[in-house]
Amino acid sequence: MELGLLRLATLLYLAATLVALVGIAVRQELPRRLLPRLLLGGLGVHAAAIIVRSVAGGHIAVTTFAEALSFLAAVLVAIFLAVQARRPLVALGAVVSPLAFGLGLAAYAAYSGARPLPPVLDSAWLPVHVVLATLGDAVFALAFSASLLYLVQERRLKAHRGRGLLRHLPSLETLDRVNYTCLVWGLILLTLGIVSGIIWAHEVWGRSWSTDPKLVFSLLTWAVYVVLLQGRMTAGWRGRWAATLTIAGFAVIVLSLVSVNMLALGNHGKAF
Amino acid sequence: MEHRTIVLVGLNHRTAPVEVRERVAFANGRLEPALRDLVALPGVLEGAIVSTCNRVEVIACGVDVGTVGGALPAFLAREHGLGEPALAGHLYTHADRAAVRHLFRVAASLDSMVVGEPQILGQLKEQYALAASVGASGRVLHRCFHKSFSVAKRVRNETGIAEKAVSVGSAAVEMARGIFDRLEDKTAMLVGAGAMGELTARQLLAQGVGSVLVVNRTYERAMDVARELGGMPVPFERLARYLPLADLVIGTASGDEFLVTPALVDEAMRERRRRPMLFVDLAVPRGFDPGVNAIDDVYLFDIDDLEGVVADNKGARAREAVKAETIVDAEVDAFWRWFTSLDVVPTIVALRDKVEGIRRREVERGLTALGAADPRLPEVLERVTSAIVNKILHGPLTALRRHEAHAGEAFYVEAARRLFGLGADPDDEEE
Repeated sequence: MELGLLRLATLLYLAATLVALVGIAVRQELPRRLLPRLLLGGLGVHAAAIIVRSVAGGHIAVTTFAEALSFLAAVLVAIFLAVQARRPLVALGAVVSPLAFGLGLAAYAAYSGARPLPPVLDSAWLPVHVVLATLGDAVFALAFSASLLYLVQERRLKAHRGRGLLRHLPSLETLDRVNYTCLVWGLILLTLGIVSGIIWAHEVWGRSWSTDPKLVFSLLTWAVYVVLLQGRMTAGWRGRWAATLTIAGFAVIVLSLVSVNMLALGNHGKAF
Repeated sequence: MEHRTIVLVGLNHRTAPVEVRERVAFANGRLEPALRDLVALPGVLEGAIVSTCNRVEVIACGVDVGTVGGALPAFLAREHGLGEPALAGHLYTHADRAAVRHLFRVAASLDSMVVGEPQILGQLKEQYALAASVGASGRVLHRCFHKSFSVAKRVRNETGIAEKAVSVGSAAVEMARGIFDRLEDKTAMLVGAGAMGELTARQLLAQGVGSVLVVNRTYERAMDVARELGGMPVPFERLARYLPLADLVIGTASGDEFLVTPALVDEAMRERRRRPMLFVDLAVPRGFDPGVNAIDDVYLFDIDDLEGVVADNKGARAREAVKAETIVDAEVDAFWRWFTSLDVVPTIVALRDKVEGIRRREVERGLTALGAADPRLPEVLERVTSAIVNKILHGPLTALRRHEAHAGEAFYVEAARRLFGLGADPDDEEE
């Protein structure tokens, strides 16, 4: 049943993608109203899928690669909905929805049956660490989406194209502010995620965690975003440069997600 | 024989650069005396002047195309203390149907720099009202202008021209909205206090822009415009000092060298910690160095870019334009039927024809009723009825002919057409 729910949620994200794309091309009320409803519907179904699986497994369903991807998609959609409740950003939805769709599709493809929780993961730290880390990734995914839109909008303005298919993008100022807010929150969450992971690992293994590839990638990501935040606050970095760095930082996150989990590197890779 | 005629002489954004347009534009308060001068010209019976930042046009109704058409260019030059050669090459002259057609197209905003922009109609109405209030316009121009207003209304309602239309100022606002989220906390700087810039600044203020700085070579003019806009005047030499304060810079001035250079903007960007800047260069030739657009977080649009912004979607616009032109053509035809009906000669002919027709029919009917009584009867009847008709018509025809001499009195012609049911006025005046 949970697989059917996941499939339905993924299809709703696909529908949301199409609606958001229409929303960029034409200024109409319908896409603006439809997009959050589709995503909310998708999220509801998606949450049901995760809950069903968690209840069946007896622990929070975030321990396989497919589960992690699925959880990330749900958190991303939830955060986007929270952001867009304050002010509608259909164009941001046009990047977030396909991301959620892609993650859902990947989770569906990598689907494996439930398996007993490995003893090493049987800890109160599991939900804390995973939720913090996933929230951090999702917030950075949002920052990435805003930065991508920034670069597109920037190019259009520089090239003096006032109209065309992408005419209803948010202003550069709005996108830059979304970037900044996400940067601050993402860094807080990422820091907490890393710290909680270190404490947990220390309890389990003593010292042997320090060369875990996931930790190395996370520290690299952290460094990129700390430099960016520092530059923004003191040197007045903004706009195109900030957007480019944000995208670079997110590339490290994606690289970490793909390489560690697909190649089963280190503790994170083996655990999943 | 002289004919009543309508002549339009003017220049616009396509035929004259902004320097010429600015010198020929009528400033506030100068229109009234100019209108009085206009109707005092030989052969001119009625006159009106349209003067905006994109066009100056003089339209006159008079008695001879040659006389009126020849007098208007000299009049325009004289009013502005220019020599006639200064305007040669910039002026166009339209006569009769072409003049009416041109006025209709202007009112419908088909001749505007940004086709479909709505401001021109308001300006036209205002300036026509002025011409009417000083008594420069009469019956013909009254109908001509009011027709042009209703043509504009039809074009706006029946075609999609206006929907797509955005004036240059609105295009600038649209670009600003692509960059800035809120305009309330933004400062605009006007470089050069030209009419276009003032108009654009007004639109920006209407959209919520927080404050305006006005820079102009003549400081007095900067103060005037700043006062009107509720902004702050800035001496021309202090441009570089104040530039970092501006989020939007609207330029209408140009000089031998660029007023705003990449070096200047680089410096300003450093000082404002790279907060984005939007430059809109409305001046021709351009006043801002195009290289400014290459600087990060700086966006420069010149007038052609803005026209590109609004003139997109060309296919759909072209279709709508064809629809609009069809409306204009139909309305010109209707107006022209009315206008020619004012001419005396056709009225005299029509009156004679009509009465003669009645006489003939009645004579024939009488003859048929009487049968072949006296062979002299047809001849007598013919003579008697002709005499009656001619005597009755003598008065009206004399009156019409007399008024032909001073054609301003259209009243008699129209009265005759109505009294005798000559049916030439298919669409009666609606305003």
